[in-house]
Amino acid sequence: MLGRFDYQRPSTLPEAVRLLAESDGPAAILAGGTDLLVDIRGRRHDPRILVDIKRIDALRRLDVDSGGALTIGAAVPLNEIIERASIRRTFPGLVQAAESIATCQLRNRATAVGNLCNASPAADMAPILLALGADLMAWSARGERTIPLSSLFVGVKKTSLAPGEIATELRIPAPKPGLRSGFLKQQRLRGHDLAVVSAAGTYAPSTGVLRLAVGSCAPTPLLLEPIEVGRSSKAVVEEKAVRAVQAAMWPISDTRASADYRRAVLPVLVKRLVADLLVEGGAP
Amino acid sequence: MPSGLTLLEFLRERLYLTGTKEGCGIGECGACTVLLDGKPVTACLVLAVEADGCSVETVEGEATDGQLSVLQRVFVETGAVQCGFCTPGMIMSARGLLRRNQNPSDDEIVEAMAGNLCRCTGYEAILEAVRLAAVAVVARPKAEPLTRETGSEDSRFLRGAESTRKDGRR
Repeated sequence: MLGRFDYQRPSTLPEAVRLLAESDGPAAILAGGTDLLVDIRGRRHDPRILVDIKRIDALRRLDVDSGGALTIGAAVPLNEIIERASIRRTFPGLVQAAESIATCQLRNRATAVGNLCNASPAADMAPILLALGADLMAWSARGERTIPLSSLFVGVKKTSLAPGEIATELRIPAPKPGLRSGFLKQQRLRGHDLAVVSAAGTYAPSTGVLRLAVGSCAPTPLLLEPIEVGRSSKAVVEEKAVRAVQAAMWPISDTRASADYRRAVLPVLVKRLVADLLVEGGAP
Repeated sequence: MPSGLTLLEFLRERLYLTGTKEGCGIGECGACTVLLDGKPVTACLVLAVEADGCSVETVEGEATDGQLSVLQRVFVETGAVQCGFCTPGMIMSARGLLRRNQNPSDDEIVEAMAGNLCRCTGYEAILEAVRLAAVAVVARPKAEPLTRETGSEDSRFLRGAESTRKDGRR
Protein backbone atom coordinates (compact mmCIF):
# COMPACT_ATOMS: atom_id res chain seq x y z
CA MET A 1 0.00 0.00 0.00
CA LEU A 2 1.41 3.32 -1.03
CA GLY A 3 -0.75 5.29 1.36
CA ARG A 4 -4.30 6.06 2.35
CA PHE A 5 -6.04 8.34 -0.08
CA ASP A 6 -9.19 8.58 -2.09
CA TYR A 7 -8.91 8.03 -5.85
CA GLN A 8 -11.11 9.72 -8.42
CA ARG A 9 -11.01 9.38 -12.18
CA PRO A 10 -13.10 12.19 -13.69
CA SER A 11 -13.92 12.17 -17.39
CA THR A 12 -14.23 15.93 -17.82
CA LEU A 13 -12.17 18.95 -16.82
CA PRO A 14 -14.97 20.72 -14.89
CA GLU A 15 -15.45 17.54 -12.88
CA ALA A 16 -11.71 17.38 -12.13
CA VAL A 17 -11.65 21.05 -11.10
CA ARG A 18 -14.65 20.48 -8.81
CA LEU A 19 -13.01 17.45 -7.17
CA LEU A 20 -9.87 19.46 -6.45
CA ALA A 21 -11.89 22.41 -5.11
CA GLU A 22 -14.07 20.25 -2.85
CA SER A 23 -11.24 18.20 -1.37
CA ASP A 24 -11.07 18.64 2.42
CA GLY A 25 -7.33 17.97 2.55
CA PRO A 26 -4.34 18.16 0.29
CA ALA A 27 -5.23 16.98 -3.21
CA ALA A 28 -2.84 15.84 -5.92
CA ILE A 29 -3.26 15.57 -9.67
CA LEU A 30 -2.23 12.14 -10.95
CA ALA A 31 -1.00 11.87 -14.54
CA GLY A 32 1.83 9.35 -15.12
CA GLY A 33 2.53 9.05 -11.40
CA THR A 34 6.24 8.42 -11.90
CA ASP A 35 7.16 11.27 -9.56
CA LEU A 36 3.99 11.52 -7.45
CA LEU A 37 3.69 7.84 -6.49
CA VAL A 38 7.39 7.66 -5.64
CA ASP A 39 6.97 10.72 -3.38
CA ILE A 40 3.90 9.22 -1.70
CA ARG A 41 5.74 5.96 -1.10
CA GLY A 42 8.68 7.89 0.34
CA ARG A 43 6.30 9.83 2.63
CA ARG A 44 7.37 13.12 1.09
CA HIS A 45 3.82 13.74 0.01
CA ASP A 46 0.62 12.70 1.79
CA PRO A 47 -2.42 13.74 -0.25
CA ARG A 48 -5.97 12.92 0.84
CA ILE A 49 -7.21 12.57 -2.73
CA LEU A 50 -5.65 11.74 -6.08
CA VAL A 51 -7.47 13.07 -9.12
CA ASP A 52 -6.45 10.94 -12.09
CA ILE A 53 -6.66 13.06 -15.25
CA LYS A 54 -5.74 10.34 -17.77
CA ARG A 55 -9.33 9.57 -18.81
CA ILE A 56 -10.16 13.17 -19.68
CA ASP A 57 -10.30 13.07 -23.48
CA ALA A 58 -9.46 16.77 -23.82
CA LEU A 59 -6.09 16.14 -22.16
CA ARG A 60 -5.11 13.34 -24.54
CA ARG A 61 -4.53 15.66 -27.51
CA LEU A 62 -1.30 15.34 -29.43
CA ASP A 63 -1.64 17.18 -32.70
CA VAL A 64 -0.14 19.67 -35.07
CA ASP A 65 -2.51 22.31 -36.46
CA SER A 66 -2.55 23.50 -40.07
CA GLY A 67 -0.09 26.28 -39.23
CA GLY A 68 2.37 23.85 -37.65
CA ALA A 69 1.75 24.61 -33.95
CA LEU A 70 2.01 21.57 -31.71
CA THR A 71 -0.33 20.77 -28.80
CA ILE A 72 0.67 18.22 -26.17
CA GLY A 73 -2.08 17.28 -23.70
CA ALA A 74 -1.34 16.74 -20.03
CA ALA A 75 -2.23 13.04 -20.23
CA VAL A 76 0.04 12.24 -23.19
CA PRO A 77 2.92 9.94 -22.19
CA LEU A 78 6.43 10.70 -23.45
CA ASN A 79 6.57 7.62 -25.66
CA GLU A 80 3.63 8.92 -27.69
CA ILE A 81 5.61 12.06 -28.48
CA ILE A 82 8.70 10.02 -29.30
CA GLU A 83 6.81 7.70 -31.64
CA ARG A 84 5.16 10.50 -33.64
CA ALA A 85 7.25 10.80 -36.83
CA SER A 86 6.03 14.31 -37.66
CA ILE A 87 7.20 15.64 -34.28
CA ARG A 88 10.61 14.00 -34.71
CA ARG A 89 10.96 15.76 -38.09
CA THR A 90 9.81 19.17 -36.94
CA PHE A 91 11.04 19.33 -33.35
CA PRO A 92 13.98 16.88 -33.09
CA GLY A 93 15.22 18.52 -29.87
CA LEU A 94 11.90 17.78 -28.18
CA VAL A 95 12.16 14.09 -29.06
CA GLN A 96 15.82 13.95 -27.97
CA ALA A 97 14.86 15.37 -24.57
CA ALA A 98 11.94 12.94 -24.17
CA GLU A 99 14.11 9.99 -25.19
CA SER A 100 16.74 10.92 -22.62
CA ILE A 101 14.29 10.51 -19.75
CA ALA A 102 14.40 7.38 -17.59
CA THR A 103 13.41 4.10 -19.23
CA CYS A 104 10.91 2.73 -21.72
CA GLN A 105 8.60 1.60 -18.91
CA LEU A 106 8.55 5.04 -17.30
CA ARG A 107 8.19 6.83 -20.64
CA ASN A 108 5.00 4.84 -21.20
CA ARG A 109 3.58 6.58 -18.11
CA ALA A 110 5.46 9.85 -17.54
CA THR A 111 4.09 12.94 -19.28
CA ALA A 112 5.79 16.09 -20.59
CA VAL A 113 3.36 18.30 -18.66
CA GLY A 114 3.95 16.29 -15.47
CA ASN A 115 7.70 16.68 -15.91
CA LEU A 116 7.22 20.46 -15.98
CA CYS A 117 4.71 20.62 -13.11
CA ASN A 118 7.04 18.61 -10.88
CA ALA A 119 9.39 21.60 -11.45
CA SER A 120 12.66 19.87 -10.74
CA PRO A 121 15.65 22.07 -11.64
CA ALA A 122 16.73 19.00 -13.64
CA ALA A 123 13.42 18.58 -15.52
CA ASP A 124 14.59 17.32 -18.91
CA MET A 125 11.62 18.63 -20.90
CA ALA A 126 11.98 22.17 -19.53
CA PRO A 127 15.00 23.56 -21.43
CA ILE A 128 13.83 22.52 -24.89
CA LEU A 129 10.26 23.69 -24.27
CA LEU A 130 11.58 27.02 -22.97
CA ALA A 131 13.75 27.39 -26.07
CA LEU A 132 10.78 26.54 -28.30
CA GLY A 133 8.75 29.28 -26.62
CA ALA A 134 6.02 26.95 -25.32
CA ASP A 135 3.03 28.09 -23.30
CA LEU A 136 1.34 26.00 -20.64
CA MET A 137 -2.45 26.21 -20.53
CA ALA A 138 -4.13 25.93 -17.12
CA TRP A 139 -7.74 25.42 -16.10
CA SER A 140 -9.51 26.26 -12.88
CA ALA A 141 -12.95 27.32 -11.65
CA ARG A 142 -12.01 30.82 -12.82
CA GLY A 143 -11.52 29.62 -16.38
CA GLU A 144 -8.52 29.10 -18.61
CA ARG A 145 -5.24 31.00 -18.57
CA THR A 146 -2.02 30.93 -20.53
CA ILE A 147 1.24 30.63 -18.62
CA PRO A 148 4.35 31.40 -20.67
CA LEU A 149 6.73 28.63 -19.69
CA SER A 150 9.35 31.20 -18.70
CA SER A 151 7.08 32.26 -15.82
CA LEU A 152 6.04 28.76 -14.68
CA PHE A 153 9.11 27.91 -12.62
CA VAL A 154 9.45 29.94 -9.43
CA GLY A 155 11.74 27.74 -7.33
CA VAL A 156 12.89 24.20 -6.65
CA LYS A 157 9.76 22.06 -7.16
CA LYS A 158 7.64 25.23 -7.15
CA THR A 159 5.47 26.55 -9.98
CA SER A 160 3.20 29.52 -10.46
CA LEU A 161 0.19 27.19 -10.77
CA ALA A 162 -2.45 28.07 -8.17
CA PRO A 163 -3.88 25.40 -5.84
CA GLY A 164 -6.74 23.66 -7.63
CA GLU A 165 -5.49 24.73 -11.04
CA ILE A 166 -4.91 21.97 -13.61
CA ALA A 167 -2.22 22.23 -16.27
CA THR A 168 -4.05 21.00 -19.35
CA GLU A 169 -1.75 21.26 -22.34
CA LEU A 170 1.43 22.63 -23.83
CA ARG A 171 1.25 24.82 -26.90
CA ILE A 172 4.38 25.02 -28.97
CA PRO A 173 4.30 27.75 -31.61
CA ALA A 174 4.66 26.81 -35.28
CA PRO A 175 8.36 26.49 -36.12
CA LYS A 176 10.06 29.21 -38.16
CA PRO A 177 11.09 27.88 -41.60
CA GLY A 178 13.99 25.46 -41.28
CA LEU A 179 13.98 25.61 -37.47
CA ARG A 180 16.68 23.44 -35.93
CA SER A 181 16.52 22.20 -32.37
CA GLY A 182 18.63 20.04 -30.12
CA PHE A 183 19.08 18.81 -26.56
CA LEU A 184 22.22 17.62 -24.78
CA LYS A 185 22.50 16.21 -21.29
CA GLN A 186 25.43 15.29 -19.12
CA GLN A 187 24.66 12.41 -16.79
CA ARG A 188 26.56 9.77 -14.88
CA LEU A 189 24.46 6.86 -15.99
CA ARG A 190 22.10 6.50 -18.92
CA GLY A 191 18.45 6.22 -17.90
CA HIS A 192 18.90 5.78 -14.18
CA ASP A 193 20.13 9.22 -13.28
CA LEU A 194 19.03 12.82 -13.46
CA ALA A 195 20.94 15.38 -15.47
CA VAL A 196 24.18 16.75 -14.04
CA VAL A 197 23.56 19.64 -16.43
CA SER A 198 21.53 19.94 -19.61
CA ALA A 199 21.22 22.38 -22.49
CA ALA A 200 18.69 22.81 -25.25
CA GLY A 201 18.46 25.22 -28.10
CA THR A 202 16.75 26.27 -31.29
CA TYR A 203 18.13 28.12 -34.27
CA ALA A 204 16.15 29.45 -37.19
CA PRO A 205 18.43 30.39 -40.12
CA SER A 206 15.57 32.46 -41.56
CA THR A 207 15.61 34.85 -38.58
CA GLY A 208 19.20 34.30 -37.43
CA VAL A 209 18.07 33.93 -33.82
CA LEU A 210 19.56 31.34 -31.46
CA ARG A 211 17.61 30.50 -28.31
CA LEU A 212 19.22 28.55 -25.51
CA ALA A 213 17.96 27.19 -22.21
CA VAL A 214 19.80 25.20 -19.57
CA GLY A 215 18.88 22.87 -16.72
CA SER A 216 20.34 21.65 -13.41
CA CYS A 217 22.42 24.75 -12.91
CA ALA A 218 20.08 27.00 -10.89
CA PRO A 219 16.98 26.52 -8.70
CA THR A 220 14.89 26.55 -11.89
CA PRO A 221 15.54 25.77 -15.54
CA LEU A 222 16.81 28.94 -17.21
CA LEU A 223 15.92 30.54 -20.54
CA LEU A 224 18.70 32.78 -21.79
CA GLU A 225 18.31 36.01 -23.76
CA PRO A 226 18.10 35.25 -27.50
CA ILE A 227 21.38 35.57 -29.38
CA GLU A 228 21.43 37.32 -32.76
CA VAL A 229 23.72 35.20 -34.88
CA GLY A 230 23.76 37.51 -37.90
CA ARG A 231 26.98 37.06 -39.86
CA SER A 232 29.10 36.18 -36.85
CA SER A 233 31.45 33.24 -37.10
CA LYS A 234 30.69 30.02 -35.27
CA ALA A 235 33.49 30.73 -32.77
CA VAL A 236 32.06 34.15 -31.93
CA VAL A 237 28.56 32.74 -31.41
CA GLU A 238 29.88 29.92 -29.26
CA GLU A 239 31.76 32.43 -27.15
CA LYS A 240 28.65 34.62 -26.74
CA ALA A 241 26.60 31.59 -25.75
CA VAL A 242 29.15 30.41 -23.20
CA ARG A 243 29.39 33.87 -21.64
CA ALA A 244 25.58 34.09 -21.43
CA VAL A 245 25.40 30.70 -19.74
CA GLN A 246 28.20 31.48 -17.31
CA ALA A 247 26.50 34.73 -16.32
CA ALA A 248 23.16 33.03 -15.74
CA MET A 249 24.13 29.82 -13.95
CA TRP A 250 24.44 29.47 -10.17
CA PRO A 251 24.73 25.77 -9.56
CA ILE A 252 24.88 23.88 -6.29
CA SER A 253 26.95 20.87 -5.28
CA ASP A 254 24.89 17.74 -4.68
CA THR A 255 25.16 13.95 -4.88
CA ARG A 256 25.45 14.10 -8.66
CA ALA A 257 28.17 16.69 -9.11
CA SER A 258 29.96 19.62 -7.51
CA ALA A 259 29.10 23.17 -8.45
CA ASP A 260 32.61 23.53 -9.87
CA TYR A 261 32.12 20.53 -12.14
CA ARG A 262 28.81 21.93 -13.34
CA ARG A 263 30.47 25.29 -14.06
CA ALA A 264 33.15 23.50 -16.02
CA VAL A 265 31.03 21.09 -18.01
CA LEU A 266 28.01 23.19 -19.00
CA PRO A 267 30.03 25.51 -21.29
CA VAL A 268 31.39 22.43 -23.05
CA LEU A 269 27.88 21.12 -23.59
CA VAL A 270 26.64 24.53 -24.77
CA LYS A 271 29.49 24.90 -27.26
CA ARG A 272 28.76 21.47 -28.66
CA LEU A 273 25.06 22.27 -28.93
CA VAL A 274 25.64 25.63 -30.62
CA ALA A 275 28.07 24.06 -33.10
CA ASP A 276 25.47 21.41 -33.96
CA LEU A 277 22.68 23.96 -34.35
CA LEU A 278 24.68 26.28 -36.61
CA VAL A 279 25.69 23.52 -38.99
CA GLU A 280 23.54 23.04 -42.05
CA GLY A 281 21.45 19.89 -41.78
CA GLY A 282 20.44 20.46 -38.25
CA ALA A 283 20.43 19.01 -34.87
CA PRO A 284 22.76 16.74 -32.98
CA MET B 1 -10.25 -2.20 -3.41
CA PRO B 2 -8.07 0.24 -1.44
CA SER B 3 -6.92 3.14 -3.63
CA GLY B 4 -3.38 2.85 -2.28
CA LEU B 5 -2.91 -0.72 -3.53
CA THR B 6 -0.40 -0.89 -6.39
CA LEU B 7 -0.99 -3.03 -9.44
CA LEU B 8 2.04 -5.05 -8.34
CA GLU B 9 0.51 -5.74 -4.91
CA PHE B 10 -2.82 -6.57 -6.52
CA LEU B 11 -1.20 -9.11 -8.86
CA ARG B 12 0.92 -10.77 -6.19
CA GLU B 13 -1.17 -10.54 -3.05
CA ARG B 14 -4.75 -10.65 -4.34
CA LEU B 15 -4.46 -12.73 -7.52
CA TYR B 16 -1.46 -14.77 -6.29
CA LEU B 17 0.29 -14.16 -9.62
CA THR B 18 3.74 -14.08 -8.07
CA GLY B 19 5.69 -14.26 -11.32
CA THR B 20 5.91 -10.46 -11.29
CA LYS B 21 8.59 -9.46 -8.79
CA GLU B 22 9.12 -6.49 -6.54
CA GLY B 23 12.65 -5.12 -6.64
CA CYS B 24 13.08 -1.45 -5.81
CA GLY B 25 9.44 -0.39 -5.61
CA ILE B 26 10.20 2.99 -7.19
CA GLY B 27 10.33 2.25 -10.91
CA GLU B 28 14.10 1.93 -11.21
CA CYS B 29 14.79 -1.80 -11.58
CA GLY B 30 12.09 -3.13 -13.90
CA ALA B 31 11.55 -6.43 -12.00
CA CYS B 32 7.81 -5.67 -11.86
CA THR B 33 7.42 -4.91 -15.58
CA VAL B 34 4.04 -5.93 -16.99
CA LEU B 35 2.24 -4.92 -20.17
CA LEU B 36 -0.55 -2.43 -19.58
CA ASP B 37 -2.67 -2.15 -22.72
CA GLY B 38 0.22 -3.82 -24.52
CA LYS B 39 2.94 -1.44 -23.28
CA PRO B 40 5.65 -2.16 -20.71
CA VAL B 41 5.18 -0.31 -17.42
CA THR B 42 6.51 -0.84 -13.90
CA ALA B 43 3.59 -2.26 -11.89
CA CYS B 44 4.97 -0.74 -8.67
CA LEU B 45 4.17 2.74 -10.01
CA VAL B 46 0.66 1.97 -11.22
CA LEU B 47 -2.27 1.89 -8.81
CA ALA B 48 -4.47 -1.16 -9.21
CA VAL B 49 -7.46 1.17 -9.60
CA GLU B 50 -5.73 2.96 -12.48
CA ALA B 51 -5.67 -0.33 -14.39
CA ASP B 52 -9.47 -0.60 -14.24
CA GLY B 53 -10.65 -1.23 -17.81
CA CYS B 54 -7.11 -1.92 -19.13
CA SER B 55 -5.56 -5.16 -20.30
CA VAL B 56 -2.75 -6.41 -18.05
CA GLU B 57 -0.32 -9.09 -19.23
CA THR B 58 2.16 -10.75 -16.91
CA VAL B 59 4.82 -13.41 -17.33
CA GLU B 60 2.18 -16.02 -16.42
CA GLY B 61 0.65 -15.35 -19.85
CA GLU B 62 3.75 -16.50 -21.72
CA ALA B 63 3.63 -20.28 -21.52
CA THR B 64 0.80 -22.19 -23.18
CA ASP B 65 -0.31 -25.61 -21.99
CA GLY B 66 2.84 -26.02 -19.96
CA GLN B 67 5.11 -25.15 -22.91
CA LEU B 68 7.39 -22.17 -22.63
CA SER B 69 6.98 -19.43 -25.22
CA VAL B 70 9.75 -18.97 -27.80
CA LEU B 71 10.87 -15.92 -25.86
CA GLN B 72 11.14 -17.82 -22.58
CA ARG B 73 12.83 -20.70 -24.36
CA VAL B 74 15.62 -18.53 -25.78
CA PHE B 75 16.23 -17.00 -22.37
CA VAL B 76 16.84 -20.53 -21.06
CA GLU B 77 18.91 -21.60 -24.05
CA THR B 78 21.24 -18.62 -24.03
CA GLY B 79 21.89 -18.67 -20.29
CA ALA B 80 20.13 -15.34 -19.92
CA VAL B 81 18.70 -16.58 -16.62
CA GLN B 82 20.87 -16.94 -13.58
CA CYS B 83 19.17 -16.18 -10.26
CA GLY B 84 16.04 -15.47 -12.28
CA PHE B 85 14.63 -12.64 -10.18
CA CYS B 86 14.82 -10.08 -13.00
CA THR B 87 13.70 -12.53 -15.68
CA PRO B 88 9.91 -12.03 -15.61
CA GLY B 89 10.42 -8.30 -16.05
CA MET B 90 13.00 -8.87 -18.78
CA ILE B 91 10.60 -11.19 -20.60
CA MET B 92 7.79 -8.64 -20.44
CA SER B 93 10.01 -5.78 -21.69
CA ALA B 94 11.18 -7.99 -24.56
CA ARG B 95 7.59 -9.02 -25.30
CA GLY B 96 6.59 -5.35 -25.44
CA LEU B 97 9.47 -4.60 -27.81
CA LEU B 98 8.75 -7.52 -30.15
CA ARG B 99 5.11 -6.57 -30.31
CA ARG B 100 5.85 -3.06 -31.57
CA ASN B 101 8.96 -3.94 -33.57
CA GLN B 102 9.51 -7.37 -35.07
CA ASN B 103 12.93 -6.53 -36.44
CA PRO B 104 14.68 -4.49 -33.76
CA SER B 105 18.23 -3.22 -34.21
CA ASP B 106 20.76 -3.79 -31.44
CA ASP B 107 20.33 -0.21 -30.30
CA GLU B 108 16.58 -0.66 -30.13
CA ILE B 109 16.99 -3.84 -28.10
CA VAL B 110 19.35 -2.12 -25.67
CA GLU B 111 16.98 0.82 -25.31
CA ALA B 112 13.97 -1.42 -24.71
CA MET B 113 15.81 -3.49 -22.09
CA ALA B 114 17.59 -0.57 -20.38
CA GLY B 115 14.88 -0.32 -17.73
CA ASN B 116 15.53 -3.84 -16.46
CA LEU B 117 18.45 -4.36 -14.12
CA CYS B 118 20.20 -7.72 -13.79
CA ARG B 119 22.88 -8.28 -11.14
CA CYS B 120 24.04 -11.69 -12.39
CA THR B 121 24.45 -12.02 -16.12
CA GLY B 122 26.25 -8.94 -17.37
CA TYR B 123 23.46 -8.46 -19.92
CA GLU B 124 25.21 -9.96 -22.95
CA ALA B 125 23.25 -13.20 -22.76
CA ILE B 126 20.02 -11.29 -22.27
CA LEU B 127 20.59 -9.13 -25.34
CA GLU B 128 21.48 -12.24 -27.31
CA ALA B 129 18.26 -13.91 -26.16
CA VAL B 130 16.18 -10.98 -27.38
CA ARG B 131 18.05 -10.96 -30.70
CA LEU B 132 17.34 -14.66 -31.15
CA ALA B 133 13.73 -14.25 -30.09
CA ALA B 134 13.29 -11.54 -32.72
CA VAL B 135 14.67 -13.87 -35.38
CA ALA B 136 12.39 -16.65 -34.18
CA VAL B 137 9.34 -14.40 -34.08
CA VAL B 138 9.98 -13.24 -37.65
CA ALA B 139 10.50 -16.82 -38.78
CA ARG B 140 7.30 -17.94 -37.08
CA PRO B 141 4.86 -15.04 -36.95
CA LYS B 142 2.32 -17.10 -35.01
CA ALA B 143 4.95 -17.61 -32.28
CA GLU B 144 4.08 -21.26 -31.94
CA PRO B 145 5.74 -22.42 -28.75
CA LEU B 146 8.75 -24.67 -29.08
CA THR B 147 8.44 -28.04 -27.47
CA ARG B 148 11.18 -29.60 -25.43
CA GLU B 149 11.91 -31.90 -28.36
CA THR B 150 12.39 -29.21 -30.99
CA GLY B 151 14.90 -27.47 -28.76
CA SER B 152 18.57 -28.31 -28.62
CA GLU B 153 21.54 -27.56 -26.46
CA ASP B 154 22.73 -25.03 -29.00
CA SER B 155 20.96 -21.69 -28.93
CA ARG B 156 21.71 -21.29 -32.63
CA PHE B 157 18.97 -23.85 -33.35
CA LEU B 158 16.49 -21.00 -33.42
CA ARG B 159 18.01 -19.44 -36.50
CA GLY B 160 17.23 -22.62 -38.41
CA ALA B 161 14.08 -23.52 -36.53
CA GLU B 162 11.84 -23.37 -39.56
CA SER B 163 14.06 -25.47 -41.84
CA THR B 164 14.65 -27.99 -39.09
CA ARG B 165 10.94 -28.50 -38.84
CA LYS B 166 10.51 -28.83 -42.60
CA ASP B 167 13.20 -31.45 -42.63
CA GLY B 168 11.04 -33.43 -40.32
CA ARG B 169 13.81 -33.61 -37.78
CA ARG B 170 12.97 -33.17 -34.21
